[in-house]
Amino acid sequence: MPRNESLSLKIALPRIPDIELVALEGLDRLARHMGISDDKVGEAKIAVTEAIINALEHSGANTPMVKVEFWMTSKELVIYVRDFGKGFEPTSIEDPDIEKKIGSKHKRGWGLKLMKSLADDFQIESGSRGTKITIKKLLT
Amino acid sequence: MDQPFSLTSELRDNRLVIATSGYVNNVGGEAIATEFSKHFSGGVKEVVVNLEHSRVVNSIGMSFLIEMIEQLQDVDGRVIFTNLDPAVDKMLSIMGIFKFAGKAANVDEAFGQFDARS
Repeated sequence: MPRNESLSLKIALPRIPDIELVALEGLDRLARHMGISDDKVGEAKIAVTEAIINALEHSGANTPMVKVEFWMTSKELVIYVRDFGKGFEPTSIEDPDIEKKIGSKHKRGWGLKLMKSLADDFQIESGSRGTKITIKKLLT
Repeated sequence: MDQPFSLTSELRDNRLVIATSGYVNNVGGEAIATEFSKHFSGGVKEVVVNLEHSRVVNSIGMSFLIEMIEQLQDVDGRVIFTNLDPAVDKMLSIMGIFKFAGKAANVDEAFGQFDARS
């Protein structure tokens, strides 16, 4: 039975291999406490994984670090992923296309597309002091 | 926490079945691609990737599998993904992977798809 409360979790992640799994573990525990099934948060786990990897890899910060915040009720999950890098222009990122990737040397570049597609609401704010991504998933 | 990546592989009727366990990240994706390459050079053209025990994957790991799909296309081969977690299934759909690869509920069903194709 889902609980009638809200919970939040804030984590700061340094750039070390597979550190995104720490955030996923936190999300799992929040969901379990709230009585929300695995399948409801599965897509959110992929979206936040991509957001963290992108932030740590592309932020351009001297010492990459990402702050992740989960805010969860029984009805929705909001995820904030923030880096403190140089920022980027989101509209300059071309949507990847599998037809073009086949036969091309560059097979990567799926993160933003996945985040946008898996979110019920997606926002990105980017500037010279970093990038903040907001991913909302409905849990009902 | 998801366990470290590992894989097993077996050849059945000259078809390669790779079963993974744990997080398919860059290391996991590369390990799958390396295992595939060993058998591809020996003439294997039909591959099953069983992701039953990999509930967490990332797009970097999956990018290695696009390379595998590409190589199989060149020899009229095929890869079928099986036992997909619903979120992983959706991820691969968003990436368009199923335009060039198959999916099946399990390994036996994948073999049935290969049989129907030959």
